[in-house]
Amino acid sequence: MTDTAEIPRIRLDKVSLAYATPRGRLAVVDQVSFAVERAEFLVLVGPSGCGKSTILRAIAGLTAAESGLISVDGRKVDGPPEHIGFMFQRDTLLPWLNVRQNIEVGLDLAGVAAVQRASRVAELLALLRLSEFHDAYPAQLSGGMRHRVSLGRMLAYQPAVMLMDEPFGALDFQTKAAMGRELLRIWEAERRSILFVTHDIEEAVALADRVLVFSPRPARIVAEHRIELPRPRDLRKLRANPDFAAYTAAIWQALGDNDPGDG
Amino acid sequence: MTEPVAADEMTPAGRPGDNARDISQDGTSNWLWRLGLIGGLLLVWEFAAGHLFNEFWSSRPSLIGERLLILFRSGEIWRHLDATVTEALLGLLLGALVGTPIGMALARYRRAADILDPLVMGLYGLPRVALAPMFILWFGISLFAKIMMSFSMVVFVFILNVTEGIRAIDSDMVDLMRTMRAPKSYILRKVTIPSIVPWLLASFRIGIGLSLVGAVVGELIGANRGLGWYVLRAGGQLDTTGVFTGLLVLMLVAMIANQIISRIERKILHWRVTAR
Repeated sequence: MTDTAEIPRIRLDKVSLAYATPRGRLAVVDQVSFAVERAEFLVLVGPSGCGKSTILRAIAGLTAAESGLISVDGRKVDGPPEHIGFMFQRDTLLPWLNVRQNIEVGLDLAGVAAVQRASRVAELLALLRLSEFHDAYPAQLSGGMRHRVSLGRMLAYQPAVMLMDEPFGALDFQTKAAMGRELLRIWEAERRSILFVTHDIEEAVALADRVLVFSPRPARIVAEHRIELPRPRDLRKLRANPDFAAYTAAIWQALGDNDPGDG
Repeated sequence: MTEPVAADEMTPAGRPGDNARDISQDGTSNWLWRLGLIGGLLLVWEFAAGHLFNEFWSSRPSLIGERLLILFRSGEIWRHLDATVTEALLGLLLGALVGTPIGMALARYRRAADILDPLVMGLYGLPRVALAPMFILWFGISLFAKIMMSFSMVVFVFILNVTEGIRAIDSDMVDLMRTMRAPKSYILRKVTIPSIVPWLLASFRIGIGLSLVGAVVGELIGANRGLGWYVLRAGGQLDTTGVFTGLLVLMLVAMIANQIISRIERKILHWRVTAR
C-alpha cells in the first residue's frame, strides 16, 4: 500500500444522522463532511446536545448513518471498525474489576499475547500514575482516577484512533486540566489520531490541532480553525498567550452567530 | 445501574480504614440492641403468660425452651429439620436454575417478554398455595411434591429479578465493549453475568423465606414429617408449646440461611464496599 499516507484516518462525506422519536424523525446531523488526518488532534465544539456525540457514535459503528458515507482507514463503517478506542463522559469502568483487571479488558480485546501482558499493564499504570492503586476497585477511586483508568483501558487496546466524547466533562476544573495535560503528554509521545468532542472552548483550543465549530441541532459545521500554537504546550502558561485568547474569541464568535436562544 | 440490595454500601472514595472501624462498631452495638430487645420481649411474654392471660393460648418461653431441649435430646428434631430444609433448599436451587435462564431470555427477547408478560404476572399473582392440593394429587405426598411447591414459590422471584437486572445494565458499558469489538461471549462473561450477581443474591435472600413457605404448605397438605407437619400436628392436639417450638425452629432456619447469604454477599460483592 503506497497511498496509505494519503488516506485520512476518518472521513465523513455528507453524513446525515437522525433519530426516530415518538413524534417522528428528528434530524440530528445535517450533511456534515470532514476528515481526521493521521496523528491529528481534531476537536469538535458546539452547544450541548447539538449532535456531536452522535457523530462519534456513528464513526464507532454504534449508530447507523441515515445518508452519506463514513470511512475509517478507507473502509466503510458498518459496525464497529478495527483499532478504534472510545471514551465516554462517564468512565464506564466495570465496577467488579479492579484497576488492573479493568485495564486488562483492553489487552484482552486487543489480543495481546500473555507474555507481554504484565509488562504492558505495569507500563500503563506507571504512565497514568496509578501503580499504587492497581488492586483498588472503581468505587474506591476519585472521579479523576477513574478517568485515568478508563484512559488506560483505551490505551491498552492500542487504538489507532481515539474517539473521546466529552471525556472530562464531568470532572471539576482542576482535575479536568490535569487530565488534559495527561492526554497531551500521551498523545505527543505516541501520536495517534484523536477526535475529541467538547463544549468547553478553552479546552478545545488548548488541546487541538484543528477545531471544528458546530451549529445547534441539526449540526452543521459553521467554522474551522487551525490552532497554530506551538507544541509541546504548557496548559498553565497558555492562558497568558495572546494567540490563545484570539482563538477562543474567534470560536466564541462563531458559536454566537448561531445562538439558538435555548443554549 | 440501579442496585437491588444494599445500595447504602456504595460510598464515594474515602479513607478505607475509618470506614471499616465505623462499620464494625455499628455492628457490635446493633447486636447488643438486638439481644436486649429479644430478651425483653421474652421476659414480658414469660411473665404475662399465666398472669395476664391463660398460658394455654400462648405457651411461654420457658416451656418452649424445654420442648426444644427434649426434641434435640431425643433426636426427633433432625427428622423434621432434615425434611423441611431438604424440600426448601432443593426448591430454591431448582427455582434459581430454572428462573435465571428464563429471566435472561425474557430480557434478551423483548418482544417475547411483552407477549408473555400478562401470563407471567398472572402466574406470579396467583396464590400458589392454592395449587398445593393439585401438587399432592399429581406428585403424591412425596418429597418431590414439596420441592415443586417450594419451587413454584421462588421461581418467579428469579425470573423477575434477573430480567430487571439485565435491563438495568448500563448501555454505555456494553457499547464501550462493542467499540472494542468484544465478542458476545466476552460481554456475557465480563458485563452481563457480573451485573446480575447482586440481583441473584437478592433473589436468594427473598427466596429463602418463600421456599420455606412452600415446603411448609406442602407439609400441611400431606406429609408424615417435617416442621410444617410438626406444627400442624401440635395444633391439632391443642399443644401451643409444640406450635411455637416448630415456628421458632423455622425462624431459626430462615435466620441462619439469611446469614449464610449475607456472608456470601460480602465475599462476592466486596467490590462495592469502600473499605478494603
